[in-house]
Amino acid sequence: MSAVSNIQASLSRIAATDGRVNAFTAVLADRAMARAAAVDAGDVTGPLAGVPFAVKNLFDIAGLPTLAGSKIEREAAPAARDAFLVRQLEAAGAVLVGALNMDEYAYGFTTENSHVGPTCNPHDLTRLSGGSSGGSAAAVAAGQVPLALGSDTNGSIRVPASLCGVFGLKPTFGRLSRAGSYPFVASLDHLGPFARSVAELAVAYDALQGPDPDDPAQQVRPLEPTSDTLSHGTDGLRIGVLDGWFRRMAQPPALAAVDRVATALGTDRLVEWPEVDRARTAAFLITNVEGAALHLPDLKARAHDFEPLSRDRFLAGALLPAAWVQQSQRVRHWFARQVARSFEEVDVLIAPATPCTSPPIGTEWLDINGMKMPARASMGLLTQPVSCIGLPVVTVPLWGLDPAAPHLPMGVQIIAAPWREDLCLRVAHALQAAGIAHAPIAELN
Amino acid sequence: MEADQVEAYVDAQCALLGLTLAPEHRPGVVRYLQLVIGMAPRVMDFPLSPHDESGNVFVPVSPSATATS
Repeated sequence: MSAVSNIQASLSRIAATDGRVNAFTAVLADRAMARAAAVDAGDVTGPLAGVPFAVKNLFDIAGLPTLAGSKIEREAAPAARDAFLVRQLEAAGAVLVGALNMDEYAYGFTTENSHVGPTCNPHDLTRLSGGSSGGSAAAVAAGQVPLALGSDTNGSIRVPASLCGVFGLKPTFGRLSRAGSYPFVASLDHLGPFARSVAELAVAYDALQGPDPDDPAQQVRPLEPTSDTLSHGTDGLRIGVLDGWFRRMAQPPALAAVDRVATALGTDRLVEWPEVDRARTAAFLITNVEGAALHLPDLKARAHDFEPLSRDRFLAGALLPAAWVQQSQRVRHWFARQVARSFEEVDVLIAPATPCTSPPIGTEWLDINGMKMPARASMGLLTQPVSCIGLPVVTVPLWGLDPAAPHLPMGVQIIAAPWREDLCLRVAHALQAAGIAHAPIAELN
Repeated sequence: MEADQVEAYVDAQCALLGLTLAPEHRPGVVRYLQLVIGMAPRVMDFPLSPHDESGNVFVPVSPSATATS
């Protein structure tokens, strides 16, 4: 198919389905068609030539204000140029078709955005898409685009990937440039792609790599392509299952998903990280304080314009003692050192991505192992301890694990040591090739 | 921390920051603060040595790195 045909098909699918899904906050038809024509004319070539993609609306798009899910940023000046990662994908031939819904300022796991409405799960429109990159996961699951970008501070790629049944990659902290994206918590923010196949995820990740002096958190690393090694299989890899917290905080469908993956990978090796609860608490406090400090001027001047679901959390975060966040940063580093030891014994670890399959929109409470937990915050219980130490993770979607809702997916995290995205992707690819994990387009009937 | 102590803490911190809480926002802020106060000991009670450094590491900026900023 030509690039123009691809983009026309994507725009048609968006037009036909987004009234129900509500993934898009902006559709860039003119820009996309012009870019597609340039691709067809041979002006742009690359491994993603003519592939439509969309981005969470915290990425800068030239000519648009960068909303970050907010009402307040509608007043911001239009971005002067595209975010670094948008430019990387377009340099590889991909074509940006629009911007996607999210939790305001990325502070949430549900994309129940009160300003523009919730993004609905394409596999069950009454249920959550997850968040904060809910629009990104939903757009891919709905077949609107094959590729999307999101951000992940505490789970915001992995949670919606799990609930919407798509593949998602959260790279190592510092791997991809965040320049030109609206920050949430600079000491924890990551960016990464969603796709319906691991091969597409790897091609996108390879294209996204590249040095960018505009992001002070990006580490100086050589390009480390992953597509070439995708098919190397799992032979020789030491694979473990995360025990303890990662099983206690999961409902039966989440445990069943991990067990199915473990069986497919031929492992019954259990690995337990120490003090996971403290690490998760550290991430929680760092997030609360840093996020609140970032928005303090607006919290003082116009708190009423914030998302009601997260405003009080932001306000409370502005009041916390400095010692709490300093100690949290030290606990975080201590935890990273302990976890590094586990990777002397294994190459890859697996864990559920969410405690449960997608709850109905508006759910306030979850029952996890007999504990009544606040639903919105608890969706990140199993992702926060991993991202707070920056490990690379691919989330793979499994199906049919919840007898009460067999149509819903459940994600499993494939976790590796820092900079070993290649191992996460290899294992994910093997699971897809074996038919264990897959990401079908939602029928949206 | 007792409820009235939390309320007093909110008042003191808001005064320090110049943050005026709308009456309708205050109950949610207090409720959330109580939740976080309950969580904080998991971090604050964890024994660390003076040599356990922060997870936030500053990277010095060379003159050339500011060229495109």
